[in-house]
Amino acid sequence: MISYLLLMGTIACFSAILALALNFQWGLGGMVNFGLAGFYSLGAYSAALLAVKAGANVFVATAGAMLVVGAICGIVALVTLRVAEEDYFAIVTLGVGEMLRLVVLNEDWLTGGALGVTGIPRPFGPSVASASYPIVQFGVAALVLLATFLFLNVIARSPFGRVMRAIREDEIVAATLGKNVLWARVRIFAIGGALIGLAGGMHAYYYQYIDPTQFTNILIAYAFMAVIAGGRGAHAGTVWGAVFVIVLLEGSRFLKDFIPGVNADQLAALRIILIGIGLLLLLLFRPQGFLREYRLRTRPEPKVNAAGMVTADR
Amino acid sequence: MITQTLFNGLVTGAIISLPALAITLLFGVLKFPNFAVGSIVTVAAYAVFALNVQLGWPLLVAAVVAAALCGAFLILVDSVIFRPMRDSGSITLMVASLGLGLILENLARFFYGNAARSFDLELSMPFRVGALRMNSEQLVAIGMSALLMLAMYLLLMRMPMGRKMRAIADNPSLALVRGIDRAQVIRWTWMINGTLLAGAGVLIGMDRALEPLMGTNYLIAIFAAAILGGLGSPLGAFVGALIVGTSSELSTLVLPPGYRTGVPLCFIAAILIWRPQGLFGRPLIRR
Repeated sequence: MISYLLLMGTIACFSAILALALNFQWGLGGMVNFGLAGFYSLGAYSAALLAVKAGANVFVATAGAMLVVGAICGIVALVTLRVAEEDYFAIVTLGVGEMLRLVVLNEDWLTGGALGVTGIPRPFGPSVASASYPIVQFGVAALVLLATFLFLNVIARSPFGRVMRAIREDEIVAATLGKNVLWARVRIFAIGGALIGLAGGMHAYYYQYIDPTQFTNILIAYAFMAVIAGGRGAHAGTVWGAVFVIVLLEGSRFLKDFIPGVNADQLAALRIILIGIGLLLLLLFRPQGFLREYRLRTRPEPKVNAAGMVTADR
Repeated sequence: MITQTLFNGLVTGAIISLPALAITLLFGVLKFPNFAVGSIVTVAAYAVFALNVQLGWPLLVAAVVAAALCGAFLILVDSVIFRPMRDSGSITLMVASLGLGLILENLARFFYGNAARSFDLELSMPFRVGALRMNSEQLVAIGMSALLMLAMYLLLMRMPMGRKMRAIADNPSLALVRGIDRAQVIRWTWMINGTLLAGAGVLIGMDRALEPLMGTNYLIAIFAAAILGGLGSPLGAFVGALIVGTSSELSTLVLPPGYRTGVPLCFIAAILIWRPQGLFGRPLIRR
């Protein structure tokens, strides 16, 4: 039971990083990413191939995956410079994600096609006894999540974080204030992409085996659900949102105990239907999410009484 | 060889022109890209399957009834899901349509499984016209698509409802001031969407087979067609669909066939970089 919880905790950690990446791009930066599944698979495959085929160290491979996905995301943001409308940008990212899926599926010589990549090494794999490995695995994942979380908190509170929110609210106002909107958009999408690559790499190390069926577009719904449930822009909320989605997904495995006479395919379909309904209910009844985004707080204005005197602030 | 590929592309184009027109009309009136379009095609096709195979109705009758049912269903979906979100921006509506798409696709999977099915049709032998091999399903696809396009053209250009739809697409506030009933126009738009998408479902089901991903597989091509023509431009959607269909078939002559669906994406990228308003759209005046 403990080891089950540790495994679930590890999954929750890299799912939370994926959700934080989407939250960074969309929640803070206002750049919607419907190609998330494709970028995530790009990260997983980059890390896996660097580790398996190029023989790189697991940590070097992760850095490589972050670099690859970050670069691709940056290029996407750069070439869509004239596509400022959210709708069009969403469609472009959807298309890029689809293209990445096609490449993974068709370039057998590199990715193994539908068969996938096997034998992916794990961080500290050889030096830890297999019985205690789940603890190490969870510990590493939790540390990476913590580091990501702190890094994002710093960015969100930095001047760049304010530029991001300004662009999200109204990019014309941001441009009028002298902010370089295009360059900021490229950076937003690239940093978010690097985080997606990180999550993808952790996914590959966790499962030690990846194939195209692990990266379907349902991931996009999960990630959006985590971000929306947590509250757009709220980092802690997004992490809780990701945990919530994982619990929901795991919990719905037990549906088969309550609904007799459904086969495995039907059960899988039913779980996705429930997730979809959950997403719609969230959008309908709680679109602002459950936690709030960080706001710069200043001291309350001193109160001024009728005689023009500043009174004690109570 | 080239003419044969062109003809196949024409058939593909005829099929995707219907959903492309559907999303472009909806975008004009409601201003959001409907990502559920592929799954709606799938569900409509299974509705036709239920009437045609399970109840034994003739395919044409089944298709007409399913089109009406699909339109009514979409109006219901709109009033439950999309109407309450109307004011919260197009991203919310997009994410909602994504969720709706997942639900519908998996409803089809839940009830009919992953196995491919087909309509109750007599097997038709391919025949030759000159150097071209074709079968009657392909001719039906071209004919039906042309017929629906003509009907849409007449509706949009000659009928009062079409004029109202164009007015709302053009300038919603002005249309409102002129006393156009927006709710009524929205209902009609969903009804037309239902008809077009059910039509596409029948054509895809005849051309390929019925399976839960039958509509979603065309999603990128549909959006490429609509964007190529300029989202919101009905004529553009039709021409865009023909260009996307023929070019992705032609690409199989030089590229591995697995990348066929990648070609529309290149169109999307190119058009958005060089001519964001599409081939037939007018440049948008932005704030």
